[in-house]
Amino acid sequence: MSKPVVHITNLNLKYRNKPVLQDLNWTINANENWLVCGTSGSGKTSLAKAIARIGHSYSNIETSFNAQSSLPALAYYVANWFQFKDLEGQSNFYYQQRYNKQSTETTATVKAELESFGKKHALQFNEVDRVLAALGFSELKNSTLIQLSSGEHKKLQLVKALWLKPQLLILDLPYNGLDVLSRKNLNLLLEEISEAGSQLILISNETELPSCINRIATIEEGKLVEISADERSWNDIETFDKQVPTFLSEAVVNASSEEIIKMINVNISYGEKQVLKDINWEVKAGEKWVLHGHNGSGKSTLLSLICGDHPQAYANDFHLFGNKRGSGESIWEIKERIGLISPELHWYFDPSATVWQSIVSGFYDSSGLFCDPGYSKKAQTDELIHYFGLDEYKNTLMNELPLGKQRLALLARTIVKNPELLILDEPCQGLDQQQTLHFNKLVDELCKNGTTLIYVGHFESQIPGCIEKRILLENGEVNSVEILHKKPILT
Amino acid sequence: MSNYFNTLPLREKLNQLGVCDFMDSSEFLDGVNALKGKKLVIVGCGAQGLNQGLNLRDSGLNVAYTLRKEAIEGKRDSWKNATENNFTVGTYEELIPTADVVINLTPDKQHTAVVNAVMPLMKQGATLLYSHGFNIVEEGMQIRKDITVIMVAPKCPGSEVRAEYVRGFGVPTLIAVHPENDPEGKGLAQAKAYCVGTGGHRAGVLKSSFVAEVKSDLMGEQTILCGLLQTGSILSFDKMVEKGIDAGYASKLVQYGVEVITEALKHGGVSGMMDRLSNVAKVKAFEISEELKDIMRPLFQKHQDDIMSGEFSRTMMEDWAAGDKNLLAWRAATGETAFEKTPAGDVKIGEQEYFDNYTLMVAFVRAGVELAFETMVQAGIKPESAYYESLHETPLIANTIARKKLFEMNRVISDTAEYGCYLFDYACKPLLADFMTKVDTDLVGKNFNEGKDGSVDNRTLIAINEVLRSHEVEVVGARLRKAMTAMKSIKTA
Repeated sequence: MSKPVVHITNLNLKYRNKPVLQDLNWTINANENWLVCGTSGSGKTSLAKAIARIGHSYSNIETSFNAQSSLPALAYYVANWFQFKDLEGQSNFYYQQRYNKQSTETTATVKAELESFGKKHALQFNEVDRVLAALGFSELKNSTLIQLSSGEHKKLQLVKALWLKPQLLILDLPYNGLDVLSRKNLNLLLEEISEAGSQLILISNETELPSCINRIATIEEGKLVEISADERSWNDIETFDKQVPTFLSEAVVNASSEEIIKMINVNISYGEKQVLKDINWEVKAGEKWVLHGHNGSGKSTLLSLICGDHPQAYANDFHLFGNKRGSGESIWEIKERIGLISPELHWYFDPSATVWQSIVSGFYDSSGLFCDPGYSKKAQTDELIHYFGLDEYKNTLMNELPLGKQRLALLARTIVKNPELLILDEPCQGLDQQQTLHFNKLVDELCKNGTTLIYVGHFESQIPGCIEKRILLENGEVNSVEILHKKPILT
Repeated sequence: MSNYFNTLPLREKLNQLGVCDFMDSSEFLDGVNALKGKKLVIVGCGAQGLNQGLNLRDSGLNVAYTLRKEAIEGKRDSWKNATENNFTVGTYEELIPTADVVINLTPDKQHTAVVNAVMPLMKQGATLLYSHGFNIVEEGMQIRKDITVIMVAPKCPGSEVRAEYVRGFGVPTLIAVHPENDPEGKGLAQAKAYCVGTGGHRAGVLKSSFVAEVKSDLMGEQTILCGLLQTGSILSFDKMVEKGIDAGYASKLVQYGVEVITEALKHGGVSGMMDRLSNVAKVKAFEISEELKDIMRPLFQKHQDDIMSGEFSRTMMEDWAAGDKNLLAWRAATGETAFEKTPAGDVKIGEQEYFDNYTLMVAFVRAGVELAFETMVQAGIKPESAYYESLHETPLIANTIARKKLFEMNRVISDTAEYGCYLFDYACKPLLADFMTKVDTDLVGKNFNEGKDGSVDNRTLIAINEVLRSHEVEVVGARLRKAMTAMKSIKTA
């Protein structure tokens, strides 16, 4: 029998001085494709990075590749996070930056980025086009990196990996931000490269997986435990009985008007490219909406208008909280009434703020904290920290936490001021199933008090029960608006 | 037109040089009210123009842009910047007559032409806003008596002005009202409202005067901020290469070192920066920085004297008239230096290594900051202004060197700063020639602590710490830094 591709004996790993993996053993043989699932913070990402030798090389992880294969003999890791730099080597971006137009482009184009990747790994350029087309990315070749949405950045990472076809491909939360069709196509592409000889380690809690996955494991108490397909997590949902903090059950004030959002023939374009076309949409106080649409359909742009983040708001007939935009209001007066979470907000959030500072900053809609919040705001923040189970991380810097915990802190930030309007753009990215369930219950709870909700999510299973209306965008236009049959709110 | 400062009696010179007040946040409780409903027209739409305009509009103010006819017809970058962000754009004739505030954000060099074109079109009682006092003070531009003249100068590049605003913060800002042009007494209220509109009020506002701003700004940028950083970088790189240090390593150490070192300066002042060295290295850095101060003091004084007398601006304006002959030649020569042409090597340098292996730069920065500060204060500039134009801005300029070396620094700063930077650099390098022959790789390129037992004399160390901490730049700095509620770290890549 040939040597195993990966052989791990008694691996011990610490994350910030806390043991994560303890005497972990794992053997991956030829023709095996693994799924690693399980709770957030269990050590999945640490394990993946260790195998790919990112940051550190461990003597108790042996990898051996097939010398006869034409595929690159390496373990390539696609991170659950991505970073890019501008042409000057800086990565000091802000999430609204993609909406501001500046004549001098500061980041590379997708095309240039792919060219430099291809050159580095000596890849054939004619092979990338097919991957681009399959993920619906071809039209974006001339876009600059700063202009890409969250889903598009994820796709760019995947395009590189699928083009490279390494002998071992490790994908960490690859479905985050992808729409239904892209997820299907990704699975087909993964099956194809597996057919061609790449082996997969897939870190995910999704249920629709490539058919080539033939082993499943979770990490429990620092050790890898193989499980069967039937045993996957759903059975161990804990009961969650913490009381929602009282300040969140107070009715929100809708002092201004019944009408929260009113758009009349709203158009947004960048040069020749029209991103939103004749959008008409009304949202009344207390309504719960879901906003659907494939990657690139214009969802983020639509939301950026509502959050005061898009400069072209001023050129449209567009009313927020009963006032026409551009009639003398400041964006801070608007933001004060909105609780926002989005993948972009998370990526560009100040990584050097502590969990506590990050949550308090929700009162001021700032990234990082710039003033003393005073007693009552501090008290509300502490209550929420406890509610989200973040007590022990209160003074930890955001960039020292795993993705799921960071996300929980930012979700707490989103609701800390009990806002009139909640905008939840894929709020549960990076959370495990249990955390998602708990968060959705909290959203349902909040919505009982008259909060208006706009929810974006590509996963049907992650949408809270209180949603009653749906708007569907397609290529920048409203395809349909409908009233949904209300699902019963689970109590 | 003649130099405004030189027309003043000494009493008034001192009076205007001495305007300096770090404003309390309660001064800004009126928000943008003084400008609410007024029509703001920005002349020019480069990085400062566009980003300030985006902030002002997002603060609920009415903003439009006016450009020269050729820029509009040619659909130049400035026109694209403004129209693609959905601002109204029009010619001077179309927009200036309706403007309540005209904001001049064009480069220094164009000010006289722009103001001469704009002023006759301005309505009675309108306000003219500058972000730099050169045109008023050095060129002596006379503004119609009914017009209010104010200055609001964010102390950061335009891209930062926007980035910090949308993060919910702002950048430190300097404001002033021209005493010859405040007929209705509304200048200060409008300048404060403008600060709120750009977010500057959250990061600290210094009330200054046109005169104090120009004389301190010119001094700071020519000496410590740009001049000495350029000289120190070039000399350090050349020394390392001469002594056989790998050129890629040397290039990286110099390019990023100054940013890492001045990050410590930003948070803890000169003593905070010196505290990052081991005790032995600190003693050495102290000794050589004392020596550097003695060598360079006459040059710093000459720069300050030429700035005060108007000699500097006179010679620079001669170069403007000659089509920037000197400036362009010096710029080209900087691009040809070995440091500029050697890419940073692919080596990892840890944060502490930048201090341990680049003790020379720590000494340069201490000497330059203290000398610039001392020389300004001796010339009648208030310590708070001198602090802003020396220590406070050094990390911001260092950041530009980290991005793309000296070329980037000289691209980002104004032509005026660039001109003064080269003047200083060319005079300073020969002055330091002897000093540099004594410098070896323990001061630049290798770890100073290597092969030393780390022991120092207690009394020497205590005496050095006392000198460092009791310097006036430290005393003033500690107070100002505390007032700037949130010192944000510049994010390094």
